[in-house]
Amino acid sequence: MTMTAKVERPPSRPAPPDSPRRSARRLPFSPWHLLLVPLALLFAIPLIWLLISSVMTNAEINRFPPPLWPKGIDLGGYAYVFGHSMFPRWFANSLIVSVVAVAANLLFGVLAGYAFARLRFFGSRVLLVLMLVTMAIPFQLTMIPTFIVMRQLGLIDTLGALIVPSLVTPFAVFLMRQFFLSLPRELEEAAWIDGCSTFGVLFRIVLPLSKPALATVAVLTFLTTWNDLTWPLIAINHDTQYTLPLGLTTFQGLHRTNWAAVMAGNVVTVVPVLIAFLGAQKTFIQSVTASGLKA
Amino acid sequence: MPITIAPGRRPRREAGTAWLFISPAVLIILGLSIVPVVWSLLLSFQANDLVTPSRWVGLDNYNALVQDPKFGQAVRNTLVYTALYVPLSIVLGLALALVLNQRIRLVGLYRTLMFVPFVVSATAQGVLFSFILDPEFGAANSLLHRIGLSSQGFLTDPGQALLVLVGITLWSGTGFCVVVYLAALQEVPPSLVEAARLDGAGRWQVLRHVVLPALRPITVFLLLWQVIQSLQVFDLVYVTTKGGPLGSTTVIVYFVWEQAFKTFTAGYGAAAAYVLAAALLIIALAVRIVRRQGVAR
Amino acid sequence: MLNRRDLFRGTLGLAAGAALTSCGDGDAANGGPVTINFWHGQTDTAVLVIEDLVQDFERNNPNIKVDMGGGVLADAMLQKVLAALAAGSYPDVAYIFGSDLANIARSPKVVDLTDLVEGTGADYWPSVREAVTINGKVRAAPALVDSLAVVCNKEVFSKAGVDLPQEGWRWRDFVETAKALTDESAGVFGTGWPGVGDEDTVWRLWPLVWDAGGDIIASSGSGIGFADAGVKALQVIQDLARDKSVYIDPKSGSEQMYQVFLSGRMGMVPTGPWELPDITDAGVDYHVVPLPTFSGHAVTISGPDTWTMFDNGPARVDAARTFVSWLIAPEQDVRWALGAGSLPLSKQSESSPEWRKYAAETPGLSDFAEALEHARVRPVHPAYPEISQALGQAIAAVLLGRSSPEDAMRACADESNSALRIPR
Repeated sequence: MTMTAKVERPPSRPAPPDSPRRSARRLPFSPWHLLLVPLALLFAIPLIWLLISSVMTNAEINRFPPPLWPKGIDLGGYAYVFGHSMFPRWFANSLIVSVVAVAANLLFGVLAGYAFARLRFFGSRVLLVLMLVTMAIPFQLTMIPTFIVMRQLGLIDTLGALIVPSLVTPFAVFLMRQFFLSLPRELEEAAWIDGCSTFGVLFRIVLPLSKPALATVAVLTFLTTWNDLTWPLIAINHDTQYTLPLGLTTFQGLHRTNWAAVMAGNVVTVVPVLIAFLGAQKTFIQSVTASGLKA
Repeated sequence: MPITIAPGRRPRREAGTAWLFISPAVLIILGLSIVPVVWSLLLSFQANDLVTPSRWVGLDNYNALVQDPKFGQAVRNTLVYTALYVPLSIVLGLALALVLNQRIRLVGLYRTLMFVPFVVSATAQGVLFSFILDPEFGAANSLLHRIGLSSQGFLTDPGQALLVLVGITLWSGTGFCVVVYLAALQEVPPSLVEAARLDGAGRWQVLRHVVLPALRPITVFLLLWQVIQSLQVFDLVYVTTKGGPLGSTTVIVYFVWEQAFKTFTAGYGAAAAYVLAAALLIIALAVRIVRRQGVAR
Repeated sequence: MLNRRDLFRGTLGLAAGAALTSCGDGDAANGGPVTINFWHGQTDTAVLVIEDLVQDFERNNPNIKVDMGGGVLADAMLQKVLAALAAGSYPDVAYIFGSDLANIARSPKVVDLTDLVEGTGADYWPSVREAVTINGKVRAAPALVDSLAVVCNKEVFSKAGVDLPQEGWRWRDFVETAKALTDESAGVFGTGWPGVGDEDTVWRLWPLVWDAGGDIIASSGSGIGFADAGVKALQVIQDLARDKSVYIDPKSGSEQMYQVFLSGRMGMVPTGPWELPDITDAGVDYHVVPLPTFSGHAVTISGPDTWTMFDNGPARVDAARTFVSWLIAPEQDVRWALGAGSLPLSKQSESSPEWRKYAAETPGLSDFAEALEHARVRPVHPAYPEISQALGQAIAAVLLGRSSPEDAMRACADESNSALRIPR
């Protein structure tokens, strides 16, 4: 960052709606920081608290009110988590399920979302409403018949039972549809006129413009499958097939809880996701040429 | 609607492609949902505890629901919760997204930190808030003392518990709206913004006349999505108040769960779920009718 | 039950030749070892004990393999078992809470275990037997038993200058002691009670109800039997709330209340033997005393959990029977009690030298075990969950000062009675 007196921006990119160009000249930093820092702290409280309590001893955590600062750094919780023989397996299972779910959601969600947004076909309205309606029955009820279905498919106690129901969700389809609807049609129509096929339009014109939307669907799908506890609890029996959240529940006893391990486990569950999110910030910003229209 | 250049030719080809595009999604979503939806519907007409053979009771469950004061309370709680949470989360989400959509230092870090509540598990959040909001030892009440206000019951006060839950959900759910809006803001055509600026529009006018209309499809999505999610809130209630105190935080889905897994009257719970589903359908229809009228105008 | 097969043929229409049958059925026919699925519901240290026991069993019984999957926490077991029963893919033995047994045992797939429990020859505590018997038939095997007593923090007592309570004390002594121990400025409470209204809130009140002459369900079965006794019990709660000597745990699970005790901010807490390891870890100098009473006759409550057996075919039922009867025999029971923090299930296990030695090393443990002789259990009745819910609301209302004992009890009686009227 070379210039501090002015808000930086690359020459080809016009300023986003609210950049405080003028006031930044007076202060060495943007005044927004005054608002954002306390807000960020407020939102970050659970992470801070998780990190702190993950390095406490069980005896320390088992107090109420809990101490706000550990006496020393005790890595017993982490030792338990990493030393647990099943931990790498749980992590791998979670990763497999989430990555497959993300890939499938992106693929099927984009295809279906584009069709619902831009293509005319009989029954499009009805189908979209039907898909949304399937979300109306709460999971607490549908988990039992879904279990029955998965059993008939022979998928119970395998990762398949976790993957198949999450391959596509109404969320992904609906979100992509709304995003595509908000794109200006001129680009696509230009391509139509040039004789491009629907597929080509989608892949060559629309998708490159949709990176933020794709990133959103990817992140949110990853999160829902990564943190899901109830369905794996019902569908999986053997601990070789556990996902991470399910495996972590084994650190809680009927009356006693190995809190240090639970907190350490939570940190291990959360921190990689946040680091990946931080690294993927670039996809949330895309570069659009000023003219907007490409040949 | 795309321009039909070659009349007759495009629509047919389009329909074929369209069906190809949507078939995986439709097959999986509808295919996997048919059985649960039908099963739940049939369940709502039975006296079924999931353990012994059931018997058909027709509309008895629904009749009992209408007369059940606890169900009425659950409905009221859910409606209050939704009516408070949805607008607040969307407005806050948009405001924060606008702030974060700028090129200031560390914006990536801020965005990530705002996302944290969304990423942390519900159980961890439950423990955290039970500590902060504990009437005797919690940080919230000690803060209030310092300002000079009296202790509050928060989650132990039947009059406050639901509002506190709304607050907690706002804290954890705003991040979702922020992320979605951020992505949407990227798609606002900069050419339009530039043009408006050149025409002399100030910041607020650009917001009102360029940005917000461009965000409309996403706002529709968020409205619908947040309504569905908050009508179905369960996890937060489960890890904190378990429907208490005195039923003040029992929401519809918690009521359904209790009927199925605590009192072994799953049929009754299924009827409650279908009442919720019917309500959602009515809301959706109402929204569509309003929008059609808006378009016609 | 819905006819699942018709539903699938009609709606799914999937070729799904992949409909696998439940595994392990045919093994016995081939003469190979029979595998039984054991959803033990244990975690943490208890799991290691179970693994040890299972290994020993398999060594002595080469024809039976015990599959120990399903290590989900027992709290979540009910949902899983219900889903499994609905889908027809259920385990052979599962860990079921005593309070859920009445409803689960109505399933035709639960195996009757009357002869099994008699057959081990052990003299189980009366409360243990009662907890697994429904209408005269034993529907499950006892797995774990505990009891409720009061644990006192000696330091808090001495700081307040209060004498430690002794056996035979009364509830008014309890209320007075709690008041004397409470120091608002220092943030110290006399005692604590869960305030969420869940089962843990309720089960603590039953000893008071029983002692005052009440019964959870009247002998006629048509209504509750504690309309009057309940008021007397709730009055104790009201006294505690009025004196502000009780810490009301706002979080479900009751852990927070114990954590307050472990921090030295609570003088005494009614709890079970499971809490002793944590109390020792926290370095609290403690003293165990039986629950106070109204009448002077010792009474407490025990909350046994069970091993429930499901019918997956004669071969597997046989194997499961062999396993379970071995598991609850006194020799194994002692190992289980030592490792998992249960109390001994029978008089034999309690008088075994290993247990005596262990009890001697852990002060207070023998008090819990002795209390078992006067322990009663909750009735194994399908309407119990609704009665419990109603009473939970009543207790919470009185704790929060929102209702008088009489009004709260009347509301509870109305709800419970209408629940009891529902045919099941």
